[in-house]
Amino acid sequence: MSQRLQNIGNHLSGSNGQSCPITSKRPDDIVIVSAKRSAIARGFKGSFKDVNSDYLLTQFLIQFFNDLPPEIREHQDLIQEVTCGNVLNPGAGATEHRGSCLAAGIPYSVPFMALNRQCSSGLTAVNDIANKIKTGQIDIGLALGVESMTKNYAAVNPLGRISDELKANKEARKCLIPMGITNENVASNFSITRQDQDKFAANSYNKAEKAVKTGLFKDEILPIQLPDGRIVDTDEGPRPNVTPESLSKIKPAFIKDKGTTTAGNASQVSDGVAGVLLARRSVAEKLNLPIVGRYLAFQAVGVPPEIMGVGPAYAIPRVLQDVGLQVKDIDIFEINEAFAAQALYCIHKLGIDINKVNPRGGAIALGHPLGCTGARQIATIMRELQPGQIGVTSMCIGTGMGAAAVFVKE
Amino acid sequence: MALNFHMQGFSGYGVQYSPFFDNRLAVASGSNFGLVGNGNLFILDIDPQGRIHSMNSFMTQDCLYDVAWNELHENQVLVAQGDGSLRLFDTSLQKFPIAIFKEHSKEVLSCNWNLINKQTFVSSSWDGTVKIWTPNRKESLRTLQVQPVMQSQLVDNTIAKTNGSRGTISANKNCIYQAQFSPHDENLVMCCSGNSYVTLFDLRQPNSNNKQQRFLAHNGSETLTCDFNKYRPTVVATSGVDSSIRIWDIRMLVNLGPQSQHINSSAACINEITRAHELAVRKVAWSPHHPNVLLSASYDMTCSVWQDLSYDGSRFTMKTNSIDSSKGFIKRFTGHSEFVFGADWSLWGQPGFIATTGWDGNVFLWNGLQR
Repeated sequence: MSQRLQNIGNHLSGSNGQSCPITSKRPDDIVIVSAKRSAIARGFKGSFKDVNSDYLLTQFLIQFFNDLPPEIREHQDLIQEVTCGNVLNPGAGATEHRGSCLAAGIPYSVPFMALNRQCSSGLTAVNDIANKIKTGQIDIGLALGVESMTKNYAAVNPLGRISDELKANKEARKCLIPMGITNENVASNFSITRQDQDKFAANSYNKAEKAVKTGLFKDEILPIQLPDGRIVDTDEGPRPNVTPESLSKIKPAFIKDKGTTTAGNASQVSDGVAGVLLARRSVAEKLNLPIVGRYLAFQAVGVPPEIMGVGPAYAIPRVLQDVGLQVKDIDIFEINEAFAAQALYCIHKLGIDINKVNPRGGAIALGHPLGCTGARQIATIMRELQPGQIGVTSMCIGTGMGAAAVFVKE
Repeated sequence: MALNFHMQGFSGYGVQYSPFFDNRLAVASGSNFGLVGNGNLFILDIDPQGRIHSMNSFMTQDCLYDVAWNELHENQVLVAQGDGSLRLFDTSLQKFPIAIFKEHSKEVLSCNWNLINKQTFVSSSWDGTVKIWTPNRKESLRTLQVQPVMQSQLVDNTIAKTNGSRGTISANKNCIYQAQFSPHDENLVMCCSGNSYVTLFDLRQPNSNNKQQRFLAHNGSETLTCDFNKYRPTVVATSGVDSSIRIWDIRMLVNLGPQSQHINSSAACINEITRAHELAVRKVAWSPHHPNVLLSASYDMTCSVWQDLSYDGSRFTMKTNSIDSSKGFIKRFTGHSEFVFGADWSLWGQPGFIATTGWDGNVFLWNGLQR
């Protein structure tokens, strides 16, 4: 009798509201079919200096679909939404990037949306597609991020036309603080020294240099053919033999005398494009599509605009709370290195093991093509994680926000 | 609107409509919530006024956990008993069984008659075996041993990451809660067990456990029930302690490779109703009238009827129930006041009639498709 009672007891205690392991596979999971990027070229003098974002996107999409199995390559109408993150083009590139999709051969029946949440645009595009899959609105969607900082950084005032009335408002005015100054605020408010920043930046350069040399980026990079026929398939940001000492010689960029932010310990101005194809697992399995990983969750949070760089320190705990995980459960973090100071602040604040952060270098070495970065990080982290491991990508967002997302490698 | 019969002093575990008489049911029950004491097989008739009365009953020495009508004989009904025996009763006789089949060493938890080769039936037990029988022989025809699961085998990629209680093998891991013949293939037997695995046996294969196909159905938590779809030969439903109902296509079993001499496969779950109930689900049953309607009965004292949104009647839709806010929910029956263990669809009359029974001693007949 006691065994029979115990048996039924186990049935009841097993179902007391605990959720399944988050790495378990379910038919309504949102899975990543493919995550790829272009090489990242240096702004103004790099390989992409003569082409605009629409050209980059067109070439990337052609390569992206060539790389996919025929089940989707020859049936692109199965894609029910394309969302493209972009920051600097007028209207986030709504017109020209829709044109790129058509030029790349995506049927006109596939709808397109342009999206801009500053540096998180690429990740927010992934979130937009994932949400639409989650609600059943679509089955398969493509999230993109593209930026030509060369063509659009200087051409338009990124702050746009802002009325005098708004400028007069004390809180609103904080949104107009240049990013470099917000980082100086982080560095001085939280006492992050120039030495620490340079050390972090040099480490990013060294990791990226090694990753490029050993071909670790080969799998995630799709070659882009330039109009003159040249093929670009290697990152241009990483420089050889960077040391904290060599970086210490660079003059501060934003505050001449006491500043700590330099061109050496801040992200580079770059051009690039990245894309993530997402589907519901039931659909991917039915169509026999490859599954490289799984999207788990996304959150964006607001932080004070004058110290916008602290964003990841608040976004990461928020998204981890949603999936019931802690910082120590995460195997790899891709935290965008907008600036060394803000990245260091977030790493220390959350107590992250620095060896788990950007193991192949970050935006300081690789570059930060604004709208592309969020999607680029996913292409990278999917190659860093081992099957079953959990990764987090995150970035700070101009005007005072942070975004973070959790992924599982399969 | 539900018809009711109360079994004084007994708790219901299994119920089945007769395949021969449109007004007859058999109910397996046990005293003291089936934990200790006598069992009782009730043969219930529904009269033209809609009243249910006991037409016959058979008291047994131990509690009864399941019931199956003989598909070849209108008066014969088989029960699964707590002492490890199966007993065949004739409803036109009194008191004693006409045959006893005693081989299992622990509680027999389920019995099921083969709907194609009607000479055979299958039983499953807490002793970790599934047995195939024919009514004319006292000894079983075949004993199927479910491959024991080593801790390291069970802890595959999907479980390794967590240390929560859901990821550990439960103490009931040997229990085979249910075994069933396919209604499409007389040689195919499916069973589900406390180690979370669902195993498929093809009786044409030699009796060796390295020929088994099996898949982890509920991430390490106990799989308490399984059922073959009546219209789609490759589709099965499972549920259990995690209270989610999963729908599988057994064509999509993927061999996990040669690391073990056994065939370890992972199946593609094509649909899931997450947290279908608040507590463990004890029984799932596909409708005999619809290819995409199923019934679930739970420890949360309710029974629910669901539409499987992954199939629209002619093809797979690739939709899942868990993304749908209504989850394809059709109806919930809340008449029971204790755990519901047994449930069966009526083959007769207007589609949708359901019989359910549980610890409260009630047998309810209700229509699952009338909202």
